[in-house]
Amino acid sequence: MVNFAPVSSYSSQELAAALKAGSLEVALGPFTARAKGEGKPLRSFLQDTYRDVMVRLSLSDVTDIALDVRAPSLLRKYIRPQVIPDPGFQVPAVPLPKSMSGLAFEMGLNLVVALKCCRFVTFHAGVVANDKGAILMSAESGGGKSTLVAALMEEGYRLYSDEFALLNMPDARLASYPRPVSLKNESIEIVRDFAGGDWVSPVISDTPKGKIAYRRARPEDITEAGETAVTKLVLFPRFEAGVRASARGLRRAEAIMRLIPSSTNYHLLGEQGFNALRKMLDGAEAFEITYGTTDDSMKMVRDLAAKVGL
Amino acid sequence: MKRQWLDILVGTKPLPEDILERAELLEFADSHHVLGQMAEVWKDTATGKTRDVFDNGLLRARFDRNMLRNEMERVERAFMGTGLSPILIKGASYVAQGLDAGKGRRVSDIDILLHEDEIGQAEELLKAAGWAFDEATDNTYDQNYYRTKMHELPPLRHKTRRTIIDVHFKLLPRTSRTKVQSDLFIDAALPLEGRKLRVFTAADRLLHSAIHSFADGSFDTPARSLIELKYLFADIQEAEHEGLLARAKTVGAVLPLAYALWALAEFFKDPLALGLLEKSGVKPSRLICWTISHKLEHIDTAPFAKALLYIRSHYMRMSLPQLFWHLATKSFRRIKPQPELPLPPGFQ
Repeated sequence: MVNFAPVSSYSSQELAAALKAGSLEVALGPFTARAKGEGKPLRSFLQDTYRDVMVRLSLSDVTDIALDVRAPSLLRKYIRPQVIPDPGFQVPAVPLPKSMSGLAFEMGLNLVVALKCCRFVTFHAGVVANDKGAILMSAESGGGKSTLVAALMEEGYRLYSDEFALLNMPDARLASYPRPVSLKNESIEIVRDFAGGDWVSPVISDTPKGKIAYRRARPEDITEAGETAVTKLVLFPRFEAGVRASARGLRRAEAIMRLIPSSTNYHLLGEQGFNALRKMLDGAEAFEITYGTTDDSMKMVRDLAAKVGL
Repeated sequence: MKRQWLDILVGTKPLPEDILERAELLEFADSHHVLGQMAEVWKDTATGKTRDVFDNGLLRARFDRNMLRNEMERVERAFMGTGLSPILIKGASYVAQGLDAGKGRRVSDIDILLHEDEIGQAEELLKAAGWAFDEATDNTYDQNYYRTKMHELPPLRHKTRRTIIDVHFKLLPRTSRTKVQSDLFIDAALPLEGRKLRVFTAADRLLHSAIHSFADGSFDTPARSLIELKYLFADIQEAEHEGLLARAKTVGAVLPLAYALWALAEFFKDPLALGLLEKSGVKPSRLICWTISHKLEHIDTAPFAKALLYIRSHYMRMSLPQLFWHLATKSFRRIKPQPELPLPPGFQ
């Protein structure tokens, strides 16, 4: 059995060959992915954004995810090349220019986790944790979730996930799933300011969602992969320009009812999923927080975290 | 897919030791909707990551099972007190009866069968209970087409739960070349234990599966269909094999059964199936056998075999003039809305 090593420990040629053969095995918390794809954009995206993520070049076990970033048609392989993520089942993906292969890779991974991985209750949420427990932030796109996650990473929290909170059903703990934090438009500059330019990937412009850049996971986030944490704080952040910061406590039932619609597979998991969700909220406090600036939100989160003993 | 994968899918050959092959097999099983069935036979022995992947299949199948149980109750409720007792067919019936063919099986919609005379009433009852035709088929041409040419009503979708029910009044399209005595299947159906619904006998179940695979459609889910045939055949005692041949003659399913037996002998090396095929004296077409093998082995490519089976499926379904008029009307309808045609009697 070959051991995992960081992406950065392999040469471009080695990575390109493994990607071409579809034998690149990527460790992503409780999941592993078999990645396939050709061309420099995908390879250099992985080398930059996944720099410290653990991979191996030859497939040594079966994987949860098999993702092929490929041309949508023979024509688009050569003329104005495009790519789509192909996870082995029909997905609603728009073809992207080949230069955006990294974006297609990220979209593909998210789709598989959302639609296929039912070992965990999957919520669309950001999660950070320290030794005492985890903060789960559930927000719609544009709610400022990723910026908050990136800001909390600067305050001694480890990145668990920017996209999906993975709730393990038997023990109701959250699993660490440290993928790069996806930043859109204005949040890119904000995060670059406090994280440092070296930790944010080059900007991909003119994507369907505007400008996108990634805040890379750090080695300390990744070595903790495979770890789990108890949820202490559940937040529903809402960004509203110019509004005065406020926090409103939520009862357990209300928090559960607000989390359910953000899950991609709750409806599949039935009683087991409900029990895990209830158990998670038993040990946590939940708040809706409204804010107008990142500074405001951070002050509130710090106070609330202190209150629940994080 | 590799032929030997079929034996692995049903648990009679060990999982591949070669990791790449094992990964490809699991990915194949997932994308061809048999991962849950494979997981059921391997769940006690698989470990590590392989077991993790199987868990995904098992959890999905559990959801389908729960959905089916709920829907069965709703269907029973819709028919309560009417004296009608719909027959559950296909995947739903295997799961409901706990048959090997239903273990881990995906169920996306429910298929029921009723006598033709009962269809009007059944439709009213289901509509009253919240099912409705989708907009795409809720027009006079489609409604007429399904009722006068096909073997089922257009799919009914529940307005709030979004689940789909297919209401059959025959086992094959009215226009089909294979003439099957659907009423004999209906008359022989048995009560489903603990329920107000009915199911086919073991022999009829296998015959219907054979009809579905080899006299209707273009064999689009070869792995799933062959696994299904294997389990359903195994449910029939050897002493009842002669009876199976006789039943196939009575209901008009001799040829589909012959293809099924050929497939079991060919892909699972089943000597009993081979013996029975020889006893039946029917010789399946070598060209069709070749295309079936070829489509199975090159499931995602095989353009020639696919085209041949596709053409055959239409040939089997209706005569050429019928097909021509149907396609012409469909294309014409895209340009200009069709004038309202009256529904045939009994379908008002």
